[in-house]
Amino acid sequence: MKLFLLMLKNLRRNLLRTTLTCLALLVLVFIVTLIWSFLHMLDSFTTAKAGEQKAIVSERWQFPSMMPWSYASALEAELEKLPPEYRPTGYMTWQFYGGTLDPTKMSPENSLFMFGMEPRALKMMDEMDDLDPALIKKLEEDKQGLLIGRDKAKTLGVQAGKTMTVTSLNYKGVNLEFHVLGYLPDTRYGQSAVMNRQYLLDALDDYKRKNNGTPHPMADKTLGLFWFQAKSLKAIEVATELLEAPGKFTQPAIKCETASSGIASFIEPYRDMLWGMRWILTPAILFVMALVIANAISISVRERRTEMAVMKVLGFRPGQILTLVLGETLLLGVLTGFFCTGLTYVVVNLVMHGMKFGVAFFPAFLIPIDALWWGPAIGAGTALAGSLVPALGARSIKVSEVFSKVA
Amino acid sequence: MHQLPVPFGLLATLFVFALLIVLLIASGKVPLRYNLRNLVVRWKTTLMTGLAFTLVVGLLTVMLAFVTGMRRLTENSGHPENIVVMSEGATDEAFSNLGYSDTGDLGSLLDDANRARLAVDEDGRPLISREKYLVVAQPIGKPGPDGKQRRSFVQIRGIEDVAYAAAVHRLVLVKGKWWENGVQTLPGSEKKAAELTLRTFGVAMLSATPGPGLRVPVQRRGDADAVTAVTAVEAVLGEGKARELGQAAGKETLEIGDVFDLGPRKWVVVGIMKSEGSTFGSEVWADSALVGDMFGKKVFTSIIVRTTGAEEAELVAKALGDRTITRRAAFSAQTEPKYYATLGATNKQFLFAIIFVAVIIAIGGIFGVMNTMFAAVSQRTKDIGVLRILGFARWQILVSFFLESLAIALLGGLVGLALGSLVHGTTATSIVSSGQGGGKSIVLQLTVDANTVAVGLLFSLIMGALGGLVPSLSAMRLRPLESLR
Repeated sequence: MKLFLLMLKNLRRNLLRTTLTCLALLVLVFIVTLIWSFLHMLDSFTTAKAGEQKAIVSERWQFPSMMPWSYASALEAELEKLPPEYRPTGYMTWQFYGGTLDPTKMSPENSLFMFGMEPRALKMMDEMDDLDPALIKKLEEDKQGLLIGRDKAKTLGVQAGKTMTVTSLNYKGVNLEFHVLGYLPDTRYGQSAVMNRQYLLDALDDYKRKNNGTPHPMADKTLGLFWFQAKSLKAIEVATELLEAPGKFTQPAIKCETASSGIASFIEPYRDMLWGMRWILTPAILFVMALVIANAISISVRERRTEMAVMKVLGFRPGQILTLVLGETLLLGVLTGFFCTGLTYVVVNLVMHGMKFGVAFFPAFLIPIDALWWGPAIGAGTALAGSLVPALGARSIKVSEVFSKVA
Repeated sequence: MHQLPVPFGLLATLFVFALLIVLLIASGKVPLRYNLRNLVVRWKTTLMTGLAFTLVVGLLTVMLAFVTGMRRLTENSGHPENIVVMSEGATDEAFSNLGYSDTGDLGSLLDDANRARLAVDEDGRPLISREKYLVVAQPIGKPGPDGKQRRSFVQIRGIEDVAYAAAVHRLVLVKGKWWENGVQTLPGSEKKAAELTLRTFGVAMLSATPGPGLRVPVQRRGDADAVTAVTAVEAVLGEGKARELGQAAGKETLEIGDVFDLGPRKWVVVGIMKSEGSTFGSEVWADSALVGDMFGKKVFTSIIVRTTGAEEAELVAKALGDRTITRRAAFSAQTEPKYYATLGATNKQFLFAIIFVAVIIAIGGIFGVMNTMFAAVSQRTKDIGVLRILGFARWQILVSFFLESLAIALLGGLVGLALGSLVHGTTATSIVSSGQGGGKSIVLQLTVDANTVAVGLLFSLIMGALGGLVPSLSAMRLRPLESLR
């Protein structure tokens, strides 16, 4: 306890140095927390999970996947043949419809991308727990209905209750009028929208009727992804074997994989960048932190050589001197780390509602609750690494040498 | 107009910094020798502080080299006289589907004035290349124990007449040749294939056209029995792609004659394109019909039109987007530099993220430098007192400590730049896109250019200046007698 109080006193003694070291640690822990939170989010998307999970069926070779609509029912029928223990508990289809509100002056601000889905399957999507069931019912009843992300609605300048006409970019000639029914939860869908799939299918039928029986060029490519909810990883393996069997689903060929595996494929082009973030950027920042601490502690030890010699004369053992120096930095590192990650957690999650990194489909990422121990751990680790050599130097201070110089 | 390799503002700031330092040194009234000696005597502190600068500037250099590599790639990919024609509304070749009726003879859709603007070959044919661009998700290795299959995206460009298309794109080969038949029998595969066929299937698979079955009958002279042979799609690779696929196969780069798996078939390298850091360097080119059949891509995605000049290209692109001129279809047509510039949206996002990260790390570094310099001042209060008594004015003390901080920053920064520059020329994969989905997976070359060096130096000096200014001010305010007590 006495040693602990001494540590606190020492930290208070040179407030300027303590403050500057704390500030340096604070910003560096902040950036490491952000980087790790981002990587943590990607890892959570791409790590295979045990137990119940979703699987994706998509075109085997081409990206983006464009399968015939007939595959939806055929895939479902095939999967229903599985033994009960492997049979999926839910299905979901995704069609992709993109367009603009202003075809004469197309820009990202007036463009809109939406999922064509069966409204009932909406709850199967990730992070849709907060979606009002009344909105799902409305979307079922009004096939022209549209649920839109708040960010996108704001950019487009539309509100719930309004009607808008979208000129399609990927279904040329299939321009649709939508009734904005409400908003998607403020999670990763801020820039997206969901339409009733029946509306798109009916519009494609209508196109065929109006063009003397000639189907739309995209009519046999309208199914983007087919999802199913599997009871286990084993169930996905069994389903994959069934669906990818020779002779089935060949025009085009399909592949079945866990959702995590599918998402990992999307991230593959970024692998070098992510590798750099994980193995170059983060260690380098941690090294800078250790350097800052090492520098501050070295100076502090150098300034206190006489004091430490006196302490030794007073009976403090070398181990206690070492503990004192290490303890000061550990205290500084742990407290600063915890304060920083705590503050980052509050600001990013509760004030900003996530931090956006506008690349690919990555949603705004949140600081995981785990970060609350990352901060103290980073602080402690770098403090220990930075102060070990100066602390060992303090431990081995020779009383005779110090006093001979003083004399 | 010739563009300066380094932005004027950046150069001007560096110049001001350099001028300031030179003027301060040239004034001869600053105890520079004292400062330099201090740096040497307190070498451990100098080294550790300098190392912080080295790390921060080194990191910044690597990150900027990545963005510069991406920017160069998108800038070098287009020719101003070329037009990329896609289906109406498409912003990316991957999402474009051109109707057959629209692509039959693009020149005939134009009016006489615009038709005259199209460049022609020696036979008077307009230089127009119809292409099928598609992205294939290629499995890498075998699935892991968790069932997870790694995949990489490979861009394939199906070409009708490859020599003609190369002329339109102005691409030449560095090795090998353009393909002739589109497929070839792999050398030495006949016997192996025959054995495999007999052992595995019992009978040879007979196929008139080489499809996904991979095997076609080969009749050899003096051999009455037909045996099967492994055929491979002939491909011409961009330099970057050849390197990437080669590294995946455990060699530096793929060479002519090397075979690799892509989609359901084997492919053989017949040529490597000189792609000069363009997005074509990350592509695999093959026969359009083969690619279309193999991956179910029936329609063309893009048409590249060569015109007689940059201004003509603008006019033709405008005409192709005008339904009243084409009378049949409107296209999304833009000159290649404009098209590839839209793919630079990702560069901006990366650059923003890099600046954000670099500035935060730098702030941390500044606090660290400030700490060191404050300690330097407090350790040398007596020295400052002596200097003041010797006649050095307050401002000279300020400049003295300020220059000391800048010297450490400059030294550390230069070492950081040197270390960071080691990545120059190395390759990395990334993606460029317009930010509206799609995009091209690319193999880029990390580039440390004059701009990166200037930014690194400036960054280092600013860190040194901000970190050293406040401690220098505190040194300046010390009173001589008090500091000597």
